[in-house]
Amino acid sequence: MSDALAISPSRSNAVRRRAAILGVLALVALALVIFGPMFLSRFSINVLTRSMIYAILAITVDLLWGFTGILTFGQAAFFGVGAYATAMLLTHIGSSPTLISLALVLAILVPVVLGTIVGWLSFYYGSTPIYATVISLVFPIVVTQLIYSGGTLTGSSSGMVGYSGLPFGLEGFFRLSGISLVVVTLGALIFVRSDSGRILTAIRDNETRCAYLGLNTQRIKIMLTAVLAGVAGLAGFLYANASGVVAPENTSFVFGTELVVWTALGGRGTILGPVLGAVGIDYLSASLSGELPFLWQLVVGTLFVVMIIFLPNGLAALVSRLTRRGRGEVVAGAGPELVSEAPRHHVKMVDGPLLSIDKLEKSYGSQKVLADITLDVAPGELVSLVGPNGAGKTTMMRCLTDGKESSGGVIRIAGKNIAGMVPNQIVALGVGRKFQVASVFESLTVAECLRMARASLEAPSFVAASDTLSLPPAAIEILQLTGLDQLLSTEVSLLSHGQKQSLELAMVVALEPRMILLDEPTAGLTKAERTTIGTILKKLTNELGFAAILVEHDLDFVRDISSRIVVLHQGRLVLDGSVDEVVNSDIVKTIYSGGDHV
Amino acid sequence: MTLLLDIVTTAAILFIVSAGLLAIFGVLEIVNFAHGAWLTVGAYCAVVTGGLGLSPWLALPLAFVAGAVLGGVTERLIVRPLYSRPQDAILATWGLGIIIGQLITLGFGRDVQFTENLLSGTIHILGTDYSLYRLFALAAAVAIGLGFALLLEGTRLGLSARAVIMNQSLARALGLDTTRIRFVTFMIGTGLTALAGVLLTPLTSVDPTMGVAWLIGSFMLVMVAGSSFGALAVACLVFGGAQVLVSTFISPILGGITVAVLSALVLRISSKGFARV
Repeated sequence: MSDALAISPSRSNAVRRRAAILGVLALVALALVIFGPMFLSRFSINVLTRSMIYAILAITVDLLWGFTGILTFGQAAFFGVGAYATAMLLTHIGSSPTLISLALVLAILVPVVLGTIVGWLSFYYGSTPIYATVISLVFPIVVTQLIYSGGTLTGSSSGMVGYSGLPFGLEGFFRLSGISLVVVTLGALIFVRSDSGRILTAIRDNETRCAYLGLNTQRIKIMLTAVLAGVAGLAGFLYANASGVVAPENTSFVFGTELVVWTALGGRGTILGPVLGAVGIDYLSASLSGELPFLWQLVVGTLFVVMIIFLPNGLAALVSRLTRRGRGEVVAGAGPELVSEAPRHHVKMVDGPLLSIDKLEKSYGSQKVLADITLDVAPGELVSLVGPNGAGKTTMMRCLTDGKESSGGVIRIAGKNIAGMVPNQIVALGVGRKFQVASVFESLTVAECLRMARASLEAPSFVAASDTLSLPPAAIEILQLTGLDQLLSTEVSLLSHGQKQSLELAMVVALEPRMILLDEPTAGLTKAERTTIGTILKKLTNELGFAAILVEHDLDFVRDISSRIVVLHQGRLVLDGSVDEVVNSDIVKTIYSGGDHV
Repeated sequence: MTLLLDIVTTAAILFIVSAGLLAIFGVLEIVNFAHGAWLTVGAYCAVVTGGLGLSPWLALPLAFVAGAVLGGVTERLIVRPLYSRPQDAILATWGLGIIIGQLITLGFGRDVQFTENLLSGTIHILGTDYSLYRLFALAAAVAIGLGFALLLEGTRLGLSARAVIMNQSLARALGLDTTRIRFVTFMIGTGLTALAGVLLTPLTSVDPTMGVAWLIGSFMLVMVAGSSFGALAVACLVFGGAQVLVSTFISPILGGITVAVLSALVLRISSKGFARV
C-alpha cells in the first residue's frame, strides 16, 4: 500500500489481523468441503450439496434484506430461472462441454437481465419499500405459472429430469458446491466491509440522506438486484447439475420465503449467520423429515416467529453481542487518518447568479403555499430566510432541492433549470442540503458517514476499507472545531444531538457544494454550539465563496451572520434587503408581533 | 351472459376473501401474512361441523368466533410488539401461517377434505342456468360490504377506526384507545377471514395449504385498494373481470396471475392504486 505511512499502527494491525482471520477461516472451510466427503455418509453428502447451494441464495437475500433493507421473496425465482435455463438447454439442444459452458453463461445472464427489469420495476424515485416486496412476490408467481404453462418446453408441473450436465459424481458436486459457497461467502464478506459495501447499510438507514449526498440510490439498488440475480442464477446452474432435476417448486415464492426464514434465523446482516442458518436448517429438515416431518416444520415456524419478535437480528446477534466490541461504545482517537484534500471544483462555474428563482409557486389543490417568489443568490452571500411558522420556508427549501415539487415558475441553479430533476441530480449541480432534524446514518461510524458524502465524487472501493479519509479543508475544520475528529470510529447513534447536527453539516460541506441550504441548523443547540456553527457558516461564505441559504427563527443569530435577509409571510416574499433594512422595518415587527396582515 | 355472471361472482369471491385483510391493513397498517392460514382455519371449521353431523351453515358462526379468538391472541402476542416494524410483522405473521398450517396438518392430515355443500344446484337466471352457490356468494359479498359500511359509518367503533386510519397519532392524542381499536379490528378482520374460508369450501378443495393460493391475490388487491372498501370493490370487479376474460379466452394458468400482474402495474403507475376512488 502506497499510503502505508499514514496508517496508525494499531489500526493497520487490526486490519491485518482481521484479514488473517478471514483467510484462515476460508482455508478451514475449503479443507472441510474438499475432505468432507471422505467422512460423510452418502445421504449427508447429497443433502449438504443442496444445502450449500441454498446457502449461496441465503447470502443474496442477506445482502438485499439484511444489509440494504429490501425484503425480497424473489431470489427463488432467479434461482429457478438459472436452473431451468440450464436444464432446458441441456435437454432440448444437447449436452457437450461447449453447451454446458453456454448453459452456465445463460444461467447467469438471463437472471441478470430479469433482475434488471425487476429492479427497474421495483425502484424508482418515490417508490415505497412495500412495493419492492410486492414485486418480489409477483415475479416468482409469474415465473412459476409460465413454467406450468410451458408444456414440454419446461416440463410443466413434473419438471425436467434426465438431461446430462457436468460429469461429476456425488462427491464432485459436493466439492464444487462447497467451493462455490466459500468463494461467494468470502466475496460477500469482503464486499460488505469495503467502502462500497457500507453504502448498502447507508441506504437502509437513511435513503433520503443518500440521495441528498448525490448518490443515485435507485440505480444502486437496481444494480444490486441484477448482480444478485446473477449469483442466484449461478446457484441455479449448480443445482440443476448436482440434483439432475428441476421442478416448478424451485422457483416458487414459498421457497423464497424459506430463504428469508433461514436468513432471519441465522442473523440478518451478518453473511455468516444466513449461511449457517441455511445449511443447518435445510440439513436438519432433511434428516428429521423422515421421523417427525410436520413437527419439525412446526418447530422452525415457532422459532422463526419468536426470533423475529424478540431477537430480530437472529442467532448471530447473540454471538456477536458476546464477542464484538468497538461498535456500541464511544471510541476516542481511533479511526482512519484524516487527509486534507484540495477542493476539486467539480462543479462547473458559470457567470451570473448561482441560484435564480423566478415566480416560484407551490400549491396543494387550491391552497397556495408559495406564490410569486422571485429571488437571486450570488456566490459568497449568506441569505437568511425568516418568517413565522407556516410562511412556506421549508416548502421553499424542498422546491430548491427537488425538481418535482414546485407547481409553477422556474428555478435555475448555476444557470440550469431544475424542473423535473430528482435530488441527486440537483446535488450534482452543486447544492448541499442540511435538514432540520439531523439526517445522518445511525448505524455507521462518523468516518463512514463522511465517506458517504465523498462517494459521489470518488468511486469507493469494492474490496478495501480505506485507511485514510480525504476531505476538503473546510470539512476537516468543522470536525476539529466540534471535536468530531476524535470520534471518527464512533457509531453515530451514540452521538449527541448537537454532534449529529455538526456531523451533518460536515457531510454537506464534504460534498463540496457551491450552495448550502440549511433548515434551522441551530435548533436545540447550546449557545456554544450555536456560535461554532455561526463561525463556520460565516467562514464558508465570506472566505470560501459558498452561497448559503438559511432558514432560521433565532433573529439574533440571523442578525449576526447574514449578509442579506429575505422575509416570507403567508407564502409571499415580502421583504428582501440587508440586515439593517430588514431588522428595522415595520413589516417584520408587525409580522413577528402578530399584528395585522401585510 | 354466463361470462358476465362469472365476472361479477368472481369479483364477489375475491372481495369476500380480501375484506378481512383490508380491514386489518387499513386500520393497523400491518399486512397480515397469515391471512391464508385463517382462510384455512375457516375451511376446517366447515370440516369439523361436517364431521359432527351438524348443519353446514353452523360452520359460519363457528368460524367467525374461532377466527376472532385466534386473531385476538395473535394480535396480543405477535402483532402488537411489531407495530413499529411493519416489515418484521409481515414475516412474523408468515411464520404464524406456517405454524397454523402445520398444526392443522398434525390434526387432520395433509389429505384433501370434503365438506358438505352449503347450497347446491343451479338456478335459471338471465336466460342461462347458473350455479346457485356463486350467486349466493355475490349476495354474501354485498352483505359484507354493506356490513362494513354500516360499521364504519354508523358505530362508535367505526368512527374511531376511521380516525385511526386518517391520523393515528392525532387519534391517540385525542384520547382514543388506539390499542383497543386495533385489537378489535384485528379480531373482526380475522373472524371475517375465517368466515370467508367457510364460504370458499364449495369452490375449492380443502387442504392445509389451500390458503396460500388465495393470500397473494388478496394481498395484491389490498395493496391496490389501500384502506377503502369502495376501492376494494372496484379493484375486485376490474381485476376479477380481467382474470375471467384471460382465463376464458387465453389460458386459465395465465388467468391465475392476472390479478397479481395487473395490481403490480397499477401500483407502478400510481402508488396510491385505486385508493382515491
